[in-house]
Amino acid sequence: MKDINFSAEKELAKDFLSNFPDSNGEPKYMRILQQVANRKFRAIEIDIEDLFSYAELDEEFCNRVQENTRRYIGIFADAIDELMPEPTEAFTDDDHDILMTQRSDDVPENMDGPDPHQKMPPEIKRYFEVYIRASSSGKSKPYAIREVKASHIGQLVRISGIVTRCSDVKPLMQVAVYTCEECGFEIYQEVTARVFMPLFECPSRRCITNRTKGNLILQLRASKFLKFQEAKIQELAEDVPKGHIPRTMTVHFRGELTRKVAPGDVVKLSGIFLPIPYTGFRAMRAGLVADTYLEAMSITHTKKKYEDYELIGDEEEQVARLAEDGNIYEKLARSLAPEIYGHEDIKKALLLLLVGAPHRKLKDGMKIRGDLHICLMGDPGVAKSQLLKHIINVAPRGVYTTGKGSSGVGLTAAVQKDPVTNEMVLEGGALVLADMGICAIDEFDKMDELDRTAIHEVMEQQTVSIAKAGITTSLNARTAVLAAANPAWGRYDLRRTPAENINLPPALLSRFDLLWLILDRADMDSDLEMARHVVYVHQNKESPALGFTPLEPSVIRAYISAVRRLSPSVPQELEEYIASAYSSIRQEEAKSNAPHSYTTVRTLLSILRISAAIARLRHSETVAQSDVDEALRLMHMSKFSLYSDDRQKSGLDPIGDIYSILRDESETTGKQDVSYAHALNLISRKGYSEAQLKQCLEEYANINVWQINPISFDIRFIDAI
Amino acid sequence: MVGVAYDCLANPLGAVRSTFEKAIASGSDPASFDGRDWGAVDLFRNFLYDDGGLSQVPILNSASIRWVQPNTLVRFRGMIQDMLGNEFYVGAYKDGSVWRTNKFTDVPQFPVDSTPDMRLWERRMLYCTPVPGQNSWAESSNAVMYASMESGTQQKEKRPRVDAEATDNMDYDVSDNGIEGSPSTKKLKENGHSTQQSITEGTSSGMIMAPDVNSGSLPCLIKIYDCLESDLKLNEVFEFVGVFTFDSEFKEDKDESDDFTNGFSEDVLVHLPPNKVPRLHCFIHRKLAVHDFLPCSPTNEPKPNLVKEIREALLRHLTAVLGNDGIAANFMLLHLLSMVYSRAGTVAVGKLSLNLTCLSRESAPVFGTQLGLALKNLLPFTQCISLTVDYLNTASLAPRKDYETSRLITGALQLAEGSHVIFDETRLEAGILNSVGVENARLLKTLIELQKVEYDFKFYKLDMPADIQMLVLSEGKSNILPADVVLPFHPSSVASAEVTTEALEAWRWYLATLRSLPHSIDSELQKVIENDLVAARQEDRTLGTQDFSRLLTMGRLMSMSFGETSLSLEHWQMVKELERLRRERLK
Repeated sequence: MKDINFSAEKELAKDFLSNFPDSNGEPKYMRILQQVANRKFRAIEIDIEDLFSYAELDEEFCNRVQENTRRYIGIFADAIDELMPEPTEAFTDDDHDILMTQRSDDVPENMDGPDPHQKMPPEIKRYFEVYIRASSSGKSKPYAIREVKASHIGQLVRISGIVTRCSDVKPLMQVAVYTCEECGFEIYQEVTARVFMPLFECPSRRCITNRTKGNLILQLRASKFLKFQEAKIQELAEDVPKGHIPRTMTVHFRGELTRKVAPGDVVKLSGIFLPIPYTGFRAMRAGLVADTYLEAMSITHTKKKYEDYELIGDEEEQVARLAEDGNIYEKLARSLAPEIYGHEDIKKALLLLLVGAPHRKLKDGMKIRGDLHICLMGDPGVAKSQLLKHIINVAPRGVYTTGKGSSGVGLTAAVQKDPVTNEMVLEGGALVLADMGICAIDEFDKMDELDRTAIHEVMEQQTVSIAKAGITTSLNARTAVLAAANPAWGRYDLRRTPAENINLPPALLSRFDLLWLILDRADMDSDLEMARHVVYVHQNKESPALGFTPLEPSVIRAYISAVRRLSPSVPQELEEYIASAYSSIRQEEAKSNAPHSYTTVRTLLSILRISAAIARLRHSETVAQSDVDEALRLMHMSKFSLYSDDRQKSGLDPIGDIYSILRDESETTGKQDVSYAHALNLISRKGYSEAQLKQCLEEYANINVWQINPISFDIRFIDAI
Repeated sequence: MVGVAYDCLANPLGAVRSTFEKAIASGSDPASFDGRDWGAVDLFRNFLYDDGGLSQVPILNSASIRWVQPNTLVRFRGMIQDMLGNEFYVGAYKDGSVWRTNKFTDVPQFPVDSTPDMRLWERRMLYCTPVPGQNSWAESSNAVMYASMESGTQQKEKRPRVDAEATDNMDYDVSDNGIEGSPSTKKLKENGHSTQQSITEGTSSGMIMAPDVNSGSLPCLIKIYDCLESDLKLNEVFEFVGVFTFDSEFKEDKDESDDFTNGFSEDVLVHLPPNKVPRLHCFIHRKLAVHDFLPCSPTNEPKPNLVKEIREALLRHLTAVLGNDGIAANFMLLHLLSMVYSRAGTVAVGKLSLNLTCLSRESAPVFGTQLGLALKNLLPFTQCISLTVDYLNTASLAPRKDYETSRLITGALQLAEGSHVIFDETRLEAGILNSVGVENARLLKTLIELQKVEYDFKFYKLDMPADIQMLVLSEGKSNILPADVVLPFHPSSVASAEVTTEALEAWRWYLATLRSLPHSIDSELQKVIENDLVAARQEDRTLGTQDFSRLLTMGRLMSMSFGETSLSLEHWQMVKELERLRRERLK
């Protein structure tokens, strides 16, 4: 290593500090220094990005700063000492200042020669603290703890982790000040490590020449202390490779950075990775082993909300590319739980749940929620729980719980007696914990009666009110509820009415924007599909190829966070369209004697919410008619499996039934054409004959529902869905 | 190789240093050895495998630790129980004008001044324990080695400092191991009351925190140099060969550590003092599979005839153990061969847990004990956990991280791959589960369904994949542990099974080797199977993917049990027949 001229480096630092321009062209750091001089705050944070972008400095200098950060903090501090402007505002002197003025008065008298121990170290005069912060603009991903290697020692690194332990904040001596009994001088000793050897004999020239061996007394009030806190951070779950244990690292916080973290916080830290060699006896025993720690330079808390989601690395670019992709809706939906076969429409609905609609606050203070609530109801073994769990993983903030299994706190909140202090404390349940996120509740039907009543409030007002044990309060619970429930008798019983099967009160049901019925129908095709899948898995020891590459959850998260910033509005001309769609649903329901749904004004709001979510996904600020159509389609599809079963149950009119089979087929494939061979295939599975099919084709062709190709008998529907 | 200047066995560090000096002399820069080897490991690999030195290396256990000399070559077999992170050490430094290395040792040979010429290197620390539930026959395979070791070193007289006491111990150990070496029937009877023991074993296993040399299970702190992180995973069983260091005279310096660490005392030295836990600086590690634990390994290819014979004999034995219940014996055989051989999504493919129902409180001890004993003799790692409300409410099943000591505290479910666990549910009575109990019940359920254990890291939980054969004994169908196969147990007689040692060895070999056979299904049979499955589902709507998966697993295991690598129609028919018989019993 070639010798570096440190005084030259200091000049560079001075030049940088006095000239680096901020966005307005004014010297950024001089303004900070002025405020520090006025005692507005202590910390001077130097962004390493600024060093890199400052044209006057060559890259070498920046690299040196990054690789030997601790040394350069000293250099910058020295430079700041020289640059520190006079305070422009008056501030009241504290003890420290009075001491300082006394000292500076004393100095001239004692100038009997340069005595290193008597020279006041610059630290004691400083009111400020210097931090060099690694680039926080998020260009590079912070390291996982296990990626910090021996080669990083001494360097500035950025890591992410979760705080597991924190010590108390303790004073750490920075400069020890002694007075000599004999000569009365103040003697200074700088402390750089955590342990130091106190001085006992006065080293001043006068005492040495007089050979008095003056006794030194440590002056605690005059010494300079620094706040010091030690913490342990642990790797985040996503950084731990399979089959490994998360690593930990010790972090030291000094001065202004103390008391910034608490156990459980997810943080990004920048700091200097440093070794502490063992001293004394331990060094002998342990050999040449060094403990390492991170000297923290800056702390950023990671927020688990979409609003604060930071795009890292190339994510921004990926999001932009996805936004241009016309097929983003399908693509994202397929990438949710890719290992679960089929269920495309359900996945679309879940994607919309993640996206949500903007919250609306009316002038009179009324709030209309934007979160979508979805309930998946279905037979056992249709992968409801897996879907729930997967959604929780994709959402930045999600809580998974079961209706039955939640603890005494329940889903909402409870007042509990603290066992230690005997105070009544308010404890939030799953719904409160999932505020601004998603709460997935499995076994929704088996929920406690108490919770079920409370959930009414959560789902519409998005608060949890509590009036127990003298505590009356309202907690925010702005969550999207994703529930999964089994039908009343475990399996869906087709002989009973839907209301009987869906074992939930209408008041609760109407709060769900979508109630999705997933029935496990006796269907040869799906059975064969299932058997093939299982055989494939056993044969090839892996799941069958998906036919597409699913997007990473992090990319989905990034995209959703980007589109959640949009707030699409409904244009005037669409209002009529939505209103008529709504009234037609009401009409249909009134006609049917066993309705599958409870259409209320809430349904109208649901349509608006779902449309808005789809518009968001399109990166659009206005809701289009196609969005509304898709919303209506999803609402229709959610009951689809039920309708088709209805028909089977009725089974009175084979011709009508064949028609609806074909209609369904065209609806599911989205095409207007159904080939004759395919149609025959379909109906024969349901137990109808070719003669019946021909009869059906003829009858419906007569009323112009479809056209029949005279040669091939292929069917073409005349109107679209 | 021109001949080794140092005895790799007695003075491995000398050998390390000589290779280092040679490397330096040939002009290499010590900086280039950051995270790299300079040939020392190759030297040992040659010595151990090419020159057959491995058998001369003593195995470190609670018996041998009394006489093994520090700074000699040893090997240790154990499961990685915890990972303690990396340790930074001065790997190479300049002593005057000569470069020295500290690799593979704790204490420098020469005193180190703080010179600027220092290279900081890192090594990984793994905390290893003997495999939980390891049976005595799996340990005893090395009894012979001590004798040869002893004579070998004494002939060479390379170690003059073998004091009298140590040799005494050695003699004693050899004889002791001699008895263990032959699994006589007497030994088997000693194990008879194992079920009762294992209850306490299960609960206390959560507390092997303070390691003790004398307790019989010797932990070891392994220090690994320069290897890929992905090579060594938690709960895997390894054999480590390396330099042994053990400081029996170490005195803890209480005052200093208390003052100094400022309340953060998770320093390795404090919790794992070198006088309690030996250290091993590892040269070479090798992952062990179940068949590495066989006393003698007949490595010959499985011959169809021989395999069939062994299969018949084993089936007879199991039938006898299971009170002449042939169907149960058939399922048991498949169960014992099962292992998770892949994971597709969340599904663990290849597991086959078995639940024997209709065991009453009276019959359970009779058959349960007998079964436990038989399995102990067949499989290297077995455990038995008796589920009671009390146990569920108090036991710590899942390992959890203790942030006070920065250690992973093991739980009853931290088991090595291929372990077998019997859950005896017959003693479970109606009672109230507290929150721990609910959590434990959930853990058991995820383990049996997904072969995963959630490790508790307080701030988050991590799923660790497991591969554990689980056998549940219960009165009715177990709901805490929903097994793949539920079979009502119908014993007709109680017979004691006399077994010869040769037969046992053959069976162990059979179970250990056959389970790793490759397997395939040809496309024709695939069609047959698909159709069979669809037909079955048309008949019974309750069949789901799990049942399909189970039938296929059974097919695979069935053909495997005959030593075949592809499923034949005959074996598939057998599976269907077995399934039919089982369903009949369920009615």
